[in-house]
Amino acid sequence: MSDVRCSTFLRHYKCMESTQFNNQVLKHSDKLFRLAKSILRNGDAAQDAVQDLIVKLWEKRNVLDDVENMQAFTMRSMRNLCLDAIRQNREEEELPVELEYIDPNPHQQTERKDLASLIRRLIDNLPELQRTIIRMRDVEEMEISEIAYITLLTENAVSVNLSRARQKIREQILNEQKRVEETVWK
Amino acid sequence: MEMMNKLLEKYFRGETSLAEEAELKRYFASQEVKKEHEIYRALFVVFDHEKRETAKVPLKKVLAKQNKMKQLWIRTFSYSGIAAALILALWIQRPQQNEDYAVIHGRRIDSPEYAQQYAAKKVNDINEILKDGLKPMHRMEVVKQNLQLLNKISKTQDRINEIEKTHIINN
Repeated sequence: MSDVRCSTFLRHYKCMESTQFNNQVLKHSDKLFRLAKSILRNGDAAQDAVQDLIVKLWEKRNVLDDVENMQAFTMRSMRNLCLDAIRQNREEEELPVELEYIDPNPHQQTERKDLASLIRRLIDNLPELQRTIIRMRDVEEMEISEIAYITLLTENAVSVNLSRARQKIREQILNEQKRVEETVWK
Repeated sequence: MEMMNKLLEKYFRGETSLAEEAELKRYFASQEVKKEHEIYRALFVVFDHEKRETAKVPLKKVLAKQNKMKQLWIRTFSYSGIAAALILALWIQRPQQNEDYAVIHGRRIDSPEYAQQYAAKKVNDINEILKDGLKPMHRMEVVKQNLQLLNKISKTQDRINEIEKTHIINN
């Protein structure tokens, strides 16, 4: 499915009614929001991005009628829109797209009372592609073929990135466990 | 236990199927998680929590608002277009007549030559009327000149009288 081009999803032109639009596109809005939030790492920006996408899709609803996999199509569009926003933001503000993981200071450590919040931060600090893939697989429970279509990668490349992302998280979790155990013994 | 270890290793290698991952999720959501696996429980808890996160703003309302705004613009442009078309149609359909004409004694005259001749005749008539009107003024000028002569005689008489008076006083 990774080599499937957009044109195969859009065979001919028909007008999509608003009810149909609600049923076929808006039902994915929560997934789109989670994907946008994962890429942009900002809830408000993600909300704006989802709204922008929904409006764009509504304006082009006449070409959406024959999209075979609406979820994959909208998720790919969402990712592209978010990546464009990041690029634009980087050009305007010269902010790095990928932030390196920085060990939390003592104040931040006290804020992170549980392992769950640490894991969230670990995922957020993965490179964009890896965090997008791990969330699409482990949160959205999408097939590798769908993720490949959305990210424009081969299925093998998706599996490799997924493995790397999970291994990194595992290492960080084990390091954290080790650190906690050392602190307790001291 | 051994099976779960293998499944976890397979999971971290990115080789598990969705069904196997669902099995892992069920295991970590249960109360039967082994102590050595407990460290990974938070990972699956995070995935479960993130899955429940929803979009904050009801998008249907956003879409409805966007539609209303669009409809308003369409309506405004439509009405403006209709009004402009009506004005244009009226302008195009206006009577294509010669706007230069004269009215003489309540009758419309479209011939410019006739109107010019009529106007020239009227100017001559006015000229004649003015000439006749100035004749009494000429007569009054003659009377005035005659009165001036009489006035001179009167002044001469007064002078003679004064001389006579002076002569009587001296004598």
